[in-house]
Amino acid sequence: MPALIAGIIIAVPVVMVVFAGLFDGAGAAWTHIRETLLLRYLGGTLSVLALTGTLCLLFAVPAAWLVTMFRFPGRAVFEWLLILPLAAPGYVLAYAWADLAGVGGPVQSALRDATGWSARDYWFPDINSLPGLSFVLACTLYPYVYLTARSAFVSQSVCALEAARSLGAGPGRSFWSVALPAARPAIAAGLALALMEAAADYGAAEFLGVPTLTYGIVRAWKSFGEPAAAARLAFVLIGLIAVLILTERWGRGRAGSQQSSIRWRHVSRTQLTGVSAIGASVSCFVLFLAAFGLPVGRLVWRSIETGAAAAPIWDALVNSIILAGSGAIFAFILALMIVLAARAKGPAAFFARASAVSGYSIPGAVLALGALAIIALFPVTLSGGVALFALAWVYASRFTAAGTEPMAAALARAPASLSNAARSLGASPSRQAFEVDLPIALSGAAVAALILFVEALKELPATLMLRPFNWDTLSVRAYAYASDERLAAAALPALLITVAGLVPVILLSWQLSRSRPGETQ
Amino acid sequence: MKRILAIAGPVLGLVLGLAACGNPATPASPEAPAVQAGEAPAETGAAGSVNIYSARHYDSDKAMYATFEAETGIRVNVRESGAPELLETMRAEGSRSPADIIIASDAGALYRFQEAGFTQAITSEKLTAAIPAQLREKDGHWFGLTKRYRIIVYDPQVVSANEVTTYADLADPRLKGEVCVRSSTNIYNLSLMGEIIGHVGAEAAEEWARGVVANLARKPQGGDTAQIEAVAAGECAVALVNHYYWVRLANGSPEERLKTTKTLLSFPDQNGNGTHVNVVAAGVAANSPSRENAIRFLEFLATPQGQELLTAETKDIPVVAGSALPAGLEQVTGFKESDFPLSELGVHQAEAQAIFDRAGWN
Repeated sequence: MPALIAGIIIAVPVVMVVFAGLFDGAGAAWTHIRETLLLRYLGGTLSVLALTGTLCLLFAVPAAWLVTMFRFPGRAVFEWLLILPLAAPGYVLAYAWADLAGVGGPVQSALRDATGWSARDYWFPDINSLPGLSFVLACTLYPYVYLTARSAFVSQSVCALEAARSLGAGPGRSFWSVALPAARPAIAAGLALALMEAAADYGAAEFLGVPTLTYGIVRAWKSFGEPAAAARLAFVLIGLIAVLILTERWGRGRAGSQQSSIRWRHVSRTQLTGVSAIGASVSCFVLFLAAFGLPVGRLVWRSIETGAAAAPIWDALVNSIILAGSGAIFAFILALMIVLAARAKGPAAFFARASAVSGYSIPGAVLALGALAIIALFPVTLSGGVALFALAWVYASRFTAAGTEPMAAALARAPASLSNAARSLGASPSRQAFEVDLPIALSGAAVAALILFVEALKELPATLMLRPFNWDTLSVRAYAYASDERLAAAALPALLITVAGLVPVILLSWQLSRSRPGETQ
Repeated sequence: MKRILAIAGPVLGLVLGLAACGNPATPASPEAPAVQAGEAPAETGAAGSVNIYSARHYDSDKAMYATFEAETGIRVNVRESGAPELLETMRAEGSRSPADIIIASDAGALYRFQEAGFTQAITSEKLTAAIPAQLREKDGHWFGLTKRYRIIVYDPQVVSANEVTTYADLADPRLKGEVCVRSSTNIYNLSLMGEIIGHVGAEAAEEWARGVVANLARKPQGGDTAQIEAVAAGECAVALVNHYYWVRLANGSPEERLKTTKTLLSFPDQNGNGTHVNVVAAGVAANSPSRENAIRFLEFLATPQGQELLTAETKDIPVVAGSALPAGLEQVTGFKESDFPLSELGVHQAEAQAIFDRAGWN
């Protein structure tokens, strides 16, 4: 029952959009989009997903393994530094990287000044391209995979790893044969989050000019003025995400191993020396620089250079925190309801998760259209409390899935024997939910709450559409400046979003680094 | 604190917890207009209020609203968003919409509001006297407030001035591999295409778009500023931009100025239809609760003072005679402007997008 309610709350804006797609007659624009653009969009989204996913895995899994299992210079710092990119929205990284790597940016200008070349005399990677977009998205999204992979590695049974070692497996072999298979469900969950987020990205794709489905959805509405055509494209996107989820399910499937041992002991990190130690430090450092250090450093530089006035920004900061906080609380409650109900299985639980996931994959602008359609049914205007409520609702609809995944992963890692024991002792399903599953799920709650807050803080299109009169947020300011091509002015609010997002990210890092029982450091 | 709690009520107490534990009283922004965020903007002082739905995002607009408030005692409430977002908001609000004024940076955008029935015809002698006829909707649904030109920026070391005298030149095979443009989704490109369709018809317009695409040095990307930077860096020799982006760079940091010293401006079609003009325009909302205040606001913007507030930061061109030209615009005056009726730009918008798509101009 709670799952059903949560599912309905989440689904309503989505359903409104779908209804618009089905029953509003789509006009000439839809025909044009279908014939000329649909394949281009579909190919764009699939390529971005494939490339972003690959890059996320390449960035995240080795890094998580390195910082968990080895000692090398800077390890303890990298362990939490590598989470920081989570705080920077994709569109902000896109602004910063396009500024850094663009033809008029500092890197290429310096190159031309040094060599006397013109822009046509050399080849330079093009950031305004599909690979460029994938790189930028992977930079901001890999922490999802890093977080889930690391917590899976950290909470792995030491016994299994030591058994592997005692049987003569080297670090490489125990990674590929023992640790990775055991961590696969967690990695798949993190990757699924990252990919859904990548599929729903609008800001970065629009800024870098890559035609994806989401870009097409917003464009169908903005350029052609046909929300119905946008809704139909959203159908295609939802279908694509459904395939993605089923694949993840299947990947998690039976391959997930049950941890039989929950005895904790300090795992001795292998000390790296010489080249391998330097290699580990350098690769972690390069990853941090690319995903966070360089782009954020550029924003800092531009903010200082312009001496941007901070006064109007503080109000926006407070507004951002209020909005993101209320959205996160709303979404967190819904996520908790869904996760606990999922243990009981059944159609209601499935429906709730499905609606959460489809909400997550739909761009905020489309959900905001759904919210406007709801508002149209009632004798209210989009101001004051109504606007705030609509916005919190859209945040919840959009982000609840991001909260369910970490908690579901925590539950999935718990040995099945726990719930079997509860059942054999005669616990009712609700008692099991509250006394066994809830405490376990809450171990993932910090991650869930954090992700929800940061997500809502970064959200742009729905915030832009639904916020009340005179109510600016940081993301709205950053977008406003960037859309007027004043990146220098956009730098400060973009930076503040990142900083505001950093606080919970650092809290989380701290919490995680203490979370390993038996850890002494 | 009280204010936050008042806002929070309808949010089912969700905000309550947060406001109680996390937030000190929200400092009111010194620049924000008088009504606090979140309050229903209905309450009024003696002079009432005016609710503005604006698709502009300039800091200088805040000064503009504050000046209007100071001079008239009329409170200004603002919702800034994109034009399509504002349109959907008004659709959802229907006849209850609190909007009095709609401002957008393109005549095509105002056309959409008018088509949807969200503007109303007003008569104001002050407005019709101040604003030239071709820059406003004939029945008074909206008024062009400032002008911008879509012009050609070129690298004089690669092309000569007489190679870039028309928009048609951009499609000339002579410029193969030399042209930079931004995405066709951009409203400035859509409106330019709207005018071209109006002059030569859809077929020839599509041919033109294909010619431009064949000449591209790189796929369409970036904003107008990025096109200027690409010409300055030598990546291409010719680009299509709105004049004020170039003017802002020319008045910017030393690094930015350097980019404009390497480029020259061409005002296309001087021997033909004249250079493409677009406007920042505003109209009175169909269900405006404070119609008189809305008209007063528009009339204020059509004074030399209002024009200066509108253009000083943005580097648009004032439309009202006797207004001061913003600094740095000396190079951008004294040429032939197109007198293509701006209300027609919107008519061709969807067709323009479809033509760009078919031509492969992303």
